[in-house]
Amino acid sequence: MLNDVTFGQYYPAQSFVHKLDPRCKIIALITFIVLLFVANNFYSLAACALIIGASIAAARVPLGRVLKSVKGILFILAFTAVLNLFFHGGEHLLCSWWIIKIYREGIIFTVFFVLRLFFLVMASSVLTLTTTPVSLTDGIESLLKPLKWVKFPVHELALIMSIALRFIPTLIDETNRIIAAQKARGADFESGNIFKRIKAMIPILIPLLISAFRRADELGDAMDARCYSGSKNRTKYKKLKFGVRDAVSLLIVAALIAGVVLLNIYWAQIFPQINDFIKLS
Amino acid sequence: MLKFVVLANRFWYNIFLKMEENSVIVCENVKFTYQGAETAAVNGVSFSVKRGEFLSVIGHNGSGKSTLARLINGLSEADEGKITVLGMDVNEGKNCIEIRKRVGIVFQNPDNQTVASIVEDDVAFGPENIGVERGEIGERIDWALKSVGMEEYRYATPSRLSGGQKQRIAVAGVLAIKPEIIILDESTAMLDPKGRREVIEVVKRLNKEDGMTVILITHFMDEALLADRTIVMNRGEIVLQGTPEDIFKNGEKLETFNLSLPRISLISNNLRAAGMDVANVLHAKELAEQILKNFDKQGILRGESSKFAEQRAETSHEWDIDIKDLTFTYSKKSPFAANALKGVDLHIDDGEFFGIIGHTGSGKSTLIQHLNALIKLPQAQRKFRKKRVKNGLPQPVYPAISVGQFNLADKKCDFKALRASVGLVFQYPEYQLFAETVFQDVAFGLKNFKKGLSQTEIELAVKSSIEIVGLDYEEIKDKSPFDLSGGQKRRVAIAGVIVTKPNVLILDEPAAGLDPKGKNEIMELLHKIHKEWCKTVIIVSHDMDEVAENCSSVAVLSEGKVFACDSPSRLFRRAKELSALGLDVPLTAKLSALLSENGIVINSDCTVNGFSEKVIEVFEGGVNA
Repeated sequence: MLNDVTFGQYYPAQSFVHKLDPRCKIIALITFIVLLFVANNFYSLAACALIIGASIAAARVPLGRVLKSVKGILFILAFTAVLNLFFHGGEHLLCSWWIIKIYREGIIFTVFFVLRLFFLVMASSVLTLTTTPVSLTDGIESLLKPLKWVKFPVHELALIMSIALRFIPTLIDETNRIIAAQKARGADFESGNIFKRIKAMIPILIPLLISAFRRADELGDAMDARCYSGSKNRTKYKKLKFGVRDAVSLLIVAALIAGVVLLNIYWAQIFPQINDFIKLS
Repeated sequence: MLKFVVLANRFWYNIFLKMEENSVIVCENVKFTYQGAETAAVNGVSFSVKRGEFLSVIGHNGSGKSTLARLINGLSEADEGKITVLGMDVNEGKNCIEIRKRVGIVFQNPDNQTVASIVEDDVAFGPENIGVERGEIGERIDWALKSVGMEEYRYATPSRLSGGQKQRIAVAGVLAIKPEIIILDESTAMLDPKGRREVIEVVKRLNKEDGMTVILITHFMDEALLADRTIVMNRGEIVLQGTPEDIFKNGEKLETFNLSLPRISLISNNLRAAGMDVANVLHAKELAEQILKNFDKQGILRGESSKFAEQRAETSHEWDIDIKDLTFTYSKKSPFAANALKGVDLHIDDGEFFGIIGHTGSGKSTLIQHLNALIKLPQAQRKFRKKRVKNGLPQPVYPAISVGQFNLADKKCDFKALRASVGLVFQYPEYQLFAETVFQDVAFGLKNFKKGLSQTEIELAVKSSIEIVGLDYEEIKDKSPFDLSGGQKRRVAIAGVIVTKPNVLILDEPAAGLDPKGKNEIMELLHKIHKEWCKTVIIVSHDMDEVAENCSSVAVLSEGKVFACDSPSRLFRRAKELSALGLDVPLTAKLSALLSENGIVINSDCTVNGFSEKVIEVFEGGVNA
């Protein structure tokens, strides 16, 4: 049932993007997402597309792998796109039928909306494809460090995340085993209505929950026995290194922001009539 | 004169220091009771451990071994008595971290000890906790991984390693803290023989070469024998202490402490009862020598004996199992695709007590999941389409399995009926219990398979099934399955499968993780089921002695293929081929081989009693016939 879940999307390769500091990649991703929503015309959006294309090329990840991640949200994307298309108001009515009215603004909005989400998912998957879950956690921990000043348990949160990552494959195995075992006892997970199916999950969920508690208990003991006592006096073996490579890519990111903002402001004035057509979204 | 006094003083002072130095752990009258428990888990235990000593601790499940380990490490606090570790009092809170730095402990389940997704990070966890400098952590990782022989796996993911490898990583994680004492709390119980060997080799080396003090808590006699000293625990008390040889040689006592006799002692006892002069020994070689000496005294000629004819009971063949060309690949299209089965052909006769042996990863579990269609054959799957044969290419071979009248390659096969008549008990079945009461849990399968049974019918079936696994129905039926002891849980789980009275019962490692007595009891139980109504019992096992003792036929799986399928007596004669596969042979087969090297041929069925009988026969017959 769960055999197809290969956890983490990490695509092993040696590339510029793979070698970047995870913090740098996270910052770049966040800026890019902001950028996507700042972009208010097709030129700046095209610039965003270029950025994505360039980073995929630099990451040496097959385009198929990146597009695969979009597949997951395709349904939601299509659904909201259709809703937007049919019900977005505007001035230039193109056609109407029953309660559905399609406006030119609606079309433009929908195209923007779809492209933005599309790029957003692609960009995030470039991050997850080129960064191992472990270094992603390290990056998040490091970026959250300033929160320590307000007594936010950053170290504990990072530890929880990394333990969760570590136990996902184990628990998937366990789930498969329990499913097989209950099937062998005649449990039926595939027929009946939704309530019946939910009820049929009980013989899986309870053993799984109990096993998770048992594991947590044993892990706690093992951690205690290995002298774990919170973040006090703790050293860290792996330290993230912010290198020249990262500085360069952050500079590039900064240049891109400037570029897109400029496009937003000036391109509009260079070709006012085009802008008039696509303006609003 | 003054000089003499000074010298003498220094002498005594040195002796005093030596004594202090020598005992790294001192327990004095330690008592501990778990919250809500009626009896003490550890009840007045006193002992000490010397520096560099290798101590093994044995005892039945629940005898307090593991609790003792937790007390020494400060994971639990003793109610009474005093524990001193390297001169520090464990009960004083401030010593806690200092003691844990010096006393490493490796637990039973290899999966539940790693905190990180990369080996290196996991090993670094301990040193990080005690604030070791970054540079030194790197060195410690190098050193720790090297001493467990896992340098190559520094950047690997623990969840993709074998059990033995995972456990070695756990050992490395403890070593990186640089402890002086290492405790292994049944660390080998969940491993296959290969994994066990790997871990034990590491521990032996740490003790011999690095002089580390080792406390090994175990159920396996061969492991306990490696120690300098053994402690036997029973119901929270130390009941025997001494060299492992002394303890196992006087095996009779062990039985009174809920431990079973080692097989070798069983054989020598049998022989002695028949009037042979056999001393208590612990190694196959010694016993073989003893037997030969007896034969020589009796004037038995050494030479080829007549062949031993095996008898097979005729059966109805109604529930024969037939497997042909079975191949199977896990996660087919992913980069981690693995061929679990590469063309298995196997026939299992109706009425057999069948054993399947092989390494972890040899495909045993995949094979048995095919037998009740938990993994369906490709032809029986919904999306199956026969491939068109291109010109010149051979017709693809499709696997076929039949169990009794069920044809598993048929899409229309009644899989539910199949699963009702082919019971499958997974490894550690107690982890599948889920219901509020034992009754409901056992009835779960019955209600699934046989709709419309009346309440009395269900009660009757559940009752008989709980009773056949040796539990008291009235006492246990309304209890929560989670309140039972480990052995009871396993029985309840087995009861939950046999409640439909399957004609074929398959069990994956039914005795794994139990103490020796518990293992024997589970096997007895299976024989009872086999005798009463279950036609074919198939067990998957790592334990060669267990297979030899119980099975009428054995199949050896290796790398996804059937390496051999034969009766134990014939199969285990191929000791060399088996050891080339990394498999062991049972004690009886080892003894037979040693005897036949000296011209005495004992053709037994490889069980302890069968072997003893044959030896006695030869002994009493006076001639080697």
